[in-house]
Amino acid sequence: MDWTQRRVEDGLVKPLAQSEDSRFSRMRPPPRERRVRVLQSTLSRDKNGRAFVGFAIDVRFGSEWRRDDIVGCVYRESGDIFVKKGDAYRPAAFLLGKNVEPVAGVCQAAAARS
Amino acid sequence: MPRFLADLPRRFFLVVMLAGSALITVTSLAYFDFETLPPFVIEKLPVRFESLWLASLRVHVAAASLVFPLCLLLMTRGIQRRPAWHRWIGRLTGFFVLFALVPSGIVLAFDAKGGKVVSAGFLLSAAIVAGCMVHGIWAARRRDFVSHRRAMRHVVGQMSVAVTSRALMLALDAGGVDPDVAYVVALWGPVLFSAAIAELVSLRSVFATPDPIRSVERIYRENSLLAVLVRARSFVRPVARLGR
Repeated sequence: MDWTQRRVEDGLVKPLAQSEDSRFSRMRPPPRERRVRVLQSTLSRDKNGRAFVGFAIDVRFGSEWRRDDIVGCVYRESGDIFVKKGDAYRPAAFLLGKNVEPVAGVCQAAAARS
Repeated sequence: MPRFLADLPRRFFLVVMLAGSALITVTSLAYFDFETLPPFVIEKLPVRFESLWLASLRVHVAAASLVFPLCLLLMTRGIQRRPAWHRWIGRLTGFFVLFALVPSGIVLAFDAKGGKVVSAGFLLSAAIVAGCMVHGIWAARRRDFVSHRRAMRHVVGQMSVAVTSRALMLALDAGGVDPDVAYVVALWGPVLFSAAIAELVSLRSVFATPDPIRSVERIYRENSLLAVLVRARSFVRPVARLGR
């Protein structure tokens, strides 16, 4: 699962850190630190049979860590990252400012076939 | 004390607020780039009525960028010495405050991050701005400039929350305070503090009047709800004359 961690760090955590600065704004200030947690040790498959792994990103503002600040999944073959916003999953580019719509069915494991 | 020194806090306030307003305007330009989502919007989405919320955000930002500097301009002696200018700029400002800034702010307040406590803070601020703006316009039309000044100090005080709140958030962040706690403190603190300062400045200006009869009259007019309907002079002067 090292691959998942590296992919999320390179594809989301680093770009997020680069795009953030302390602005004179009501938005939440950038966290001091982020850490990626891979949520599963085996691959899940969505209803289209594509393999993905769930992850969570924790943040630290003061001394305490806040868990699950970002939750999402990364697809093994394409490397696509999706993040959860509300009840839906959107491409991770959403958090970097791109106006992208939610994608149905991603990051949701298909029911096991009997 | 020389007049220049006595006026220094007011001038300092106007300059700092003007700089803060300009800074907020610059950082808010991203809201009008329809291709990308600014961080504040990303943080907020999803909201219940997304189109209404986004439209309200843009109206609120545009209105605030216009009316806050205009309010500061109206507070300057230069404009106050030109009644015709003051009246027309005041009408324009009052219109945008009552029909753009406050309604859009109320829509945004219901989806404010931080829940009901923060919503209540924004709604209180909106109520002070709207109530004092209406009262101030009414007072100006009655040529009751003491009440007008007091009301407009409250309006400007609440608008200044936009600057002081953001500055306080930066300070609390630098101090390592949890951002959720900081958000609540940085809203309610400046809202209440600004209202208190507006009252204190109004009271100070009342007691600075050399004529005690006029001072009492001013206090009546500024503090009594009846003063909206009845001029305090008709109460104070006859009583004062009884003692002669």
